[in-house]
Formats: sequence, C-alpha cells, structure tokens
Amino acid sequence: MSAAIDIVAVTKTYDGRTRAVDAVDMAIREGEFFSLLGPSGCGKTTTLRMIAGFETPTEGTIAVGGADVTHVPAHKRDMGMVFQNYALFPHRSVGENVGFGLRMRGMDRAMIARKVTDALAQVELVGYEDRRPGQLSGGQQQRVALARAIVIEPRVLLCDEPLGALDKKLRQSMQFELKQLQRKLGLTMVFVTHDQEEALAMSDRIAVMNAGKVEQIGTPSEIYDRPGTRFVADFIGDTNLFRGEVIRTGGTCVLRVDSDLSIELAEEPGTIGPLSVALRPEKIVLTAPGAHAGQGLDGIVESANFQGGSVLYRIEAAGRRLLAQQPNNGSHELFQAGAAVALRWTPSDIVILKD
Amino acid sequence: MTSAPFSLRFGRFCYLAFNVGVVVFLLAPIAIVFVFALNPTPYIQFPPVGVSMRWFEKFFASRDFMNALWFSLEVAVLTTVAATLFGASAALALARGRLPGSRAITAIMLSPLMLPAILTGLALFQTYVLLDVGRPTWGLVLGHTIVSIPYVVRTTLAVLHNFDTRLEEAAQNLGAGALRTYFEVTLPLTKPGVMAGAVFAFIVSFDQFPISLFLVSPGHETLPITLFNYLKFDLDGTIGAASVVSIVLAVLVVVGLDRTVGLRSYAEL
Repeated sequence: MSAAIDIVAVTKTYDGRTRAVDAVDMAIREGEFFSLLGPSGCGKTTTLRMIAGFETPTEGTIAVGGADVTHVPAHKRDMGMVFQNYALFPHRSVGENVGFGLRMRGMDRAMIARKVTDALAQVELVGYEDRRPGQLSGGQQQRVALARAIVIEPRVLLCDEPLGALDKKLRQSMQFELKQLQRKLGLTMVFVTHDQEEALAMSDRIAVMNAGKVEQIGTPSEIYDRPGTRFVADFIGDTNLFRGEVIRTGGTCVLRVDSDLSIELAEEPGTIGPLSVALRPEKIVLTAPGAHAGQGLDGIVESANFQGGSVLYRIEAAGRRLLAQQPNNGSHELFQAGAAVALRWTPSDIVILKD
Repeated sequence: MTSAPFSLRFGRFCYLAFNVGVVVFLLAPIAIVFVFALNPTPYIQFPPVGVSMRWFEKFFASRDFMNALWFSLEVAVLTTVAATLFGASAALALARGRLPGSRAITAIMLSPLMLPAILTGLALFQTYVLLDVGRPTWGLVLGHTIVSIPYVVRTTLAVLHNFDTRLEEAAQNLGAGALRTYFEVTLPLTKPGVMAGAVFAFIVSFDQFPISLFLVSPGHETLPITLFNYLKFDLDGTIGAASVVSIVLAVLVVVGLDRTVGLRSYAEL
C-alpha cells in the first residue's frame, strides 16, 4: 500500500547554527514519483534520511499515510530504500540480500524463497540467487538493491542517487525501467538526484532545493518553463538571466537592463524596483540581420556548438553574452562563428523570477 | 625471450635478497629453539649432535610444567574472551557512538601498549594488596585482559574505520533493530578485525611475563613464570621443548580460529 508523505516545517541542524534543512514543507502524494533536486549540500539527502528515519528532525514533523512518524525508528517505518553505491551486504548471497527484509519480518522460508524469485524476476536477474554481490556488475548490483527494496512491498520507496555510479547508456535504460516499475507497482517514490536531466525525465513532480530550503516544487515542465526563482532558472538547463529596473511606458511594462537593452514584459510584475528575468536559449529565434519584428537584438555569433539535434550559439549582443539554441531540423538557417545575426523572442517567453 | 636489462635484474636480486634476509632474521630464533629442543646434550650446543625426544618427554612428564601449561591455557582463554568482548564493544562505541572525548578515551584504551607492562603489573599488585584480595586467578586474568584490550580495540577500530555505515542503515531500513543489525551485519563484517584482536589477546596472555610475575600466587604459576624459575637453576633442552610447545599451540590457535570463524575479510566490497 502506497502512502502519502507530509513534511511540515522540518528543520535539521547539527550544531545548533547551520541549518542543513531549513523549514522545509513538502506534500508528496500517494503513488507519485517525487524528486529532490539540487546541488550537493543543498539538504536533499538529509531530507531523504529524515524520511527514512536515519536522522531525526530538529524541528517539524514527518507523517506517512497520515500518521506522524517523526520519532519512529528506521526499522519500523516500512520503507524501501536504494542507496547510493547500493549498500548490498557483501557477506550474503543475492538471494539472502533480497530476502533480508522478509526474514526480519518473520516470514517463513518457503514464502521468502518464492517472493525473492518473483522480485528477482522483476529486475530480470532470475538465477542469480547464489551469487555474491561482489561478483555482479554495477548495473546488476543496482537491480539487486532495487529488488531488495521492493520485495518488502514498502509504503514508500526512497532512492539516494541510485543511478549515479552507472555509465550514461546504462543510466538511461535504468531510468526508464525504474520509472516503469514505479508506475506498475503504484509506488510512492522519493528520488534524490543532483542530475537535472534525470529529474526532469523521470519525475511527476520535483522539489528544487538550495542551501537547505525548497526553492520551488512543480512538474518538470513547470520547473523548466516557469522557474520561480533565479536559482531554479540558473540550475535547471541553460538560461539567459537579466537583471534591471521595471519602468512603465504607456501601456507596456519594460525591464530596463542598461542603456543598450530594455526587455518588454508580457505580464505586470507584482513588485517595483530591481527584478530578474530568464529567457531560455531555445526560445530565441536567430535570423539573418535586417528587419525584425517584436523584441530583438542584433549580435555577432561568438561560437556555434553543434550538438547533433540542435546547435547552441554563444552570441555577443548588447555588450553581453547570450545563449541561443536552434533545432537542426532544416527550418532554421545555421550560422558560423563571426556571422551577424538578429535575435528575436516573444515577451511571453520572458519569465519573471524571485531572487 | 629477451632478458631484462642488468640494472633491473640486479635490482630484483637485491629486493629478493633483502626479503629473504628479513624472513631469516625473523625465523632464526625459532630455528635455534627447535635445534635446542631436539639436541640431546643438556646444554646449548652447535652444531647439534643428534635428534632426541628426551626434553619433550621430560617436559610432558613434569607435573610442575603440566600444571603451569594448563593454567596458562586457562588464563589465556579467559583473557581472550574478556578482552575480545570488552575491546570489541569499546571499539564499536568509540567508532559509532557520538561519545564526547572519544579521542581521549581511545588514547586511554591504548595506553597499556605504551606503558611498560612491568609497571602495570606493579600497579595491579599494589592495588590488590591495598584491597586485600590476595592473588586470585581472576586478578591475573584481569591483569592480562588490561594489556590485551588495546590489541582488540586497535584491530576492531581498523575494520570499523573502513566499514560502510550505509550497510547498517540498509539493515535497519529493511526492518532490523539495533541488536539484529549488529549480529547480522556489523559483527560478520568486522569479524576479521575482532578475531585478529582475539588472537593477539591469546598470545599476549599466553606469553605474558611481567604482569604474571607480580600476580601469580606461588605454587600456582603460568608457564612463562615456571620456565623462568626453572631457568634460574637449570639450563637444559626442557626450556627449548617448552618453547616449541608454546609456539605450536599459538600456531594451532591461529589456524583453528581461521578454520572455524574465519579471519579473511570481505575486502572486495
């Protein structure tokens, strides 16, 4: 039975001063793939460890399925966990590793054997029961760790950067399999990662964390297209950030960055004074210089980074360096370094950020 | 096959020669003891004049030596159990528990290694006199345990230091409480260190001289003390035979522990 997790005003401090996790609120829904994303030291792993029961919050409460578990010890929480580097028991066979949780629950041996076989079948490791973890490849160990966590039919599956140690190809196929398994079993999953592509690809929702605080919680497209803060815009994907003063001319609202650059805003920012905005590179359209409609700038291509499916340009314009990305689908002219270009975008692609 | 350049071959030869030298240096005293024990003449003689079992017969026929041997074994076994239980638990507490001043406690635990054992023996002797407890066997075992604990603490701390605590967390996550986690995961994986410490404890106790010198009661002595007393009046091959028996016993303990509980580590992970 999957369960929802409610984290309310949770703070963790180790020395009474520095807050590893600072007043975090999260409502993780039942059956949801929820990622904690952020740079190292942002508090994501500490948050996960508090959910698992390895750390106790200094303040606040954690509830699972409506019941407060803040002070319930880890071994009574009924959660599966896949550790970074897997933490398989090296002195036990694969079968014993997977069956460990069932044995702790006092299940009889025949039942354990059957469930272990089923769990290994689910991760496509049938027949590996008698091997030692040390005899398996990284990807296989990963699957054993996953089987060990799901065989106990946990209410919540916690993952601490489980794919970090795998090479890129394997990581992508494991992302896919993990997501499928999560959906098939209807598991509530909390997934810690510092890899934004992984979080965007797999999650139903993402909590972006920085310096112990939650910056934004939202679906991958919300996080990417409508970043709420300067940190989120900068951390997720490539972006062009601008900072200036809001001025109103006639009916339109304009962000005056400096004397060379003013950016029209589609919406009225709630605040007055200095403001940051973001513009994704792929929202910029590049054309040969000439008449350009709407918002735009003229610039010189500094470098063109061919990426196969797209081209990423660094462009010198209005005294600053901008990133622009164009799909390589035949409908866009490709430019070489040194070429003069015009940059255009629509005001609605400008995202207003909180600092 | 082309031969390696001379300088490389010469380097290898020197390396090999050095290692052989070290091994010979370490084993020579044992070889001398064996020669001494098997040589039939009642004094140390080189080259040996023959091979005989007379000193072994004399050793095993001596009631004093036999009593001392059994007493030494008894004390060594008790010491090993006590030092291992205490040392392994202490190491776990030092490595895991967030003890205030754990560095200072570690230093204190290891201090008997730095102190001359004769001082520890003297201090214990005076303490027992003050407490008026006489010279009981448990007093001797306690003395041996004190000097054995540092070995167990050291070897156990060494394996705990390299121990991945996530393994314990994984066990807890899967439903194992603290005690079960210890016996299912921590102990099996730190066993090589604990057992190495136990072997040291056994040997330290079995060979113990300075502590025993103060704490044995007359007429009820450990083997090293009996040998020392014997040496004061006689110097014949019995000493050699007793030494050979001690060496063989020590080797048997190490091999036996390795066979039954295992000293190998799961170093691959």
